[in-house]
Amino acid sequence: MHQQLTSLSDKELISRTRKQKDREAEGVLMDRYSHLLVAITLPQLQKNPSLDPNIVFPTLLQRLSASLRTQSIYKANEWILHMQRGYLNNQDKATPFYPSREARDLLHIENKVDRASTNTIDRQEIIVRLEQALQRLAPEEKKLLDEFYVEQKSFSELAAAKGWNRDKVRNQLKAAKAKLAKLFINQAYVK
Amino acid sequence: MLSNSVNNDKVIKIFSGIRCVSKDQLPRYLDGRLTEVEKHLVEQHLTDCDLCFEALQALEKEGSTEKYADLTSKLQRYIQQSIRPVSQEQKVAQYTRKERNKENLLVYFWVLAFAILGVSGVYVLKGHMRNNPTIPRLMVSAIPPAEAAKLPSSETAVTSQPIVTANHPSNIPSAPPAVATTAPASSTAAPAAVDSARIKLLAAERAAKRKAQADSLLKANQDAAEVRRQDSLKKLAEEKDKEQKEKDAAEAAAKAAKEKEKEPEPAPKKEEVKKEEAAPATNSIESLYKSALQYQQQGNLSEAMDRYKRIEANGSGKYVEMARYQLGICYRSKGQSARARRMFKEVVKMDGSLKAAAQQALDTM
Repeated sequence: MHQQLTSLSDKELISRTRKQKDREAEGVLMDRYSHLLVAITLPQLQKNPSLDPNIVFPTLLQRLSASLRTQSIYKANEWILHMQRGYLNNQDKATPFYPSREARDLLHIENKVDRASTNTIDRQEIIVRLEQALQRLAPEEKKLLDEFYVEQKSFSELAAAKGWNRDKVRNQLKAAKAKLAKLFINQAYVK
Repeated sequence: MLSNSVNNDKVIKIFSGIRCVSKDQLPRYLDGRLTEVEKHLVEQHLTDCDLCFEALQALEKEGSTEKYADLTSKLQRYIQQSIRPVSQEQKVAQYTRKERNKENLLVYFWVLAFAILGVSGVYVLKGHMRNNPTIPRLMVSAIPPAEAAKLPSSETAVTSQPIVTANHPSNIPSAPPAVATTAPASSTAAPAAVDSARIKLLAAERAAKRKAQADSLLKANQDAAEVRRQDSLKKLAEEKDKEQKEKDAAEAAAKAAKEKEKEPEPAPKKEEVKKEEAAPATNSIESLYKSALQYQQQGNLSEAMDRYKRIEANGSGKYVEMARYQLGICYRSKGQSARARRMFKEVVKMDGSLKAAAQQALDTM
């Protein structure tokens, strides 16, 4: 059972947890993100010695488990980051999680692409529209995206070429992608 | 064109969803131990995913991979420990609930089944009692053994030896049906009785048989005496009749002689002669038959058979038939079944009043 659950996607695990009250699915989901949770909490733990990992992580897990049942979660990674930040900023108050507009757009496009993976007509249509959206981007942004996605240059190569550090490259890429997503979605409305 | 289409295909990669960096991939990316393709995929994901990027940054900054590994394994163990028992408990609880439900259902089913069985049993019993109210077993066993013995003993006394007496020849054909009716009565009583009661009955029957033999002898003597008395009466009556007839005949003859003087006398005289001859013959045969019966009842079969044979040789009509029938019985009791059968067959052939009895005897042999 556990083996089968590990191969499921986040979305399916979440729906299992909600509909079937499957504690095992919840456990698998938590297990999947446990190392990232530990990694993002580490700086706080070192900065603030009063935080005891034996208390922080169980309470964090409890909060996650409680919100898993009540809130709509589009992307598990975004949700976990939000919950962790909310917990560390204010330990008494549980801040509800609302996915951002950008994140939803991105998810929408990703789902579209995923669905079109076996349908060549849809796929071609998406490609054409992506090209159109790319044309409307700023040239440097378009160039950055092309270099990263089409030419498959790594962060370090791009950073060396542009003279930026890795974080800036990543942030620029993220901003360009968000713009592209917005253009893509708006294109659909225009059409 | 070709390169363009390939580029186009790569463009779509911008929006392909990629899973978060796994526990295994994260330290390898940090150490630069990933393949080119894998590294590119991770970087693609890192552009989208704040969580993974932040984790990466944190790990790079702190450089405390040991603590990270330790805490991660701890957390994972905690998750597994907290989830597994719960899920197992849930499963156990579900299983026990299911089992309990099943057991409850079974209990209900059996209770219902027994209730229905009981009600239907009572109903059937009531119907049975209503339709044929039989004598309860208790009453049968409550009858004292002596009384119980008397009932069948009287029957056996009747049935054991179907003796044909001269007095009631008309009763003889009706005797077998009477036997037939009494026999079922005794047989219905028998199964109802308990085994011990049956044993008692058998013992009583044996005693009663012995008694009955003595009784039957007495009875036969009495019967014979009675018959003799009746015979003497008859004889007296006949003598009177004769005298009357003679007188009548004499008067008639006188009248006839006076009136016509032709053929008056011979006819009545002949009749008288005939009657005079027949009466003593029948009387002797009758007495012979009775004595034979007596001998038969006493157990002196050879004497009885001798007499029967004489009757058969000399007698006529009814007495021959009866004698043959009794001869058949004698042969049968002697064990000479072939002769007995022949006798019974002859009786049947004669087609007299004893035909049915003989036929029955033949059938039972």
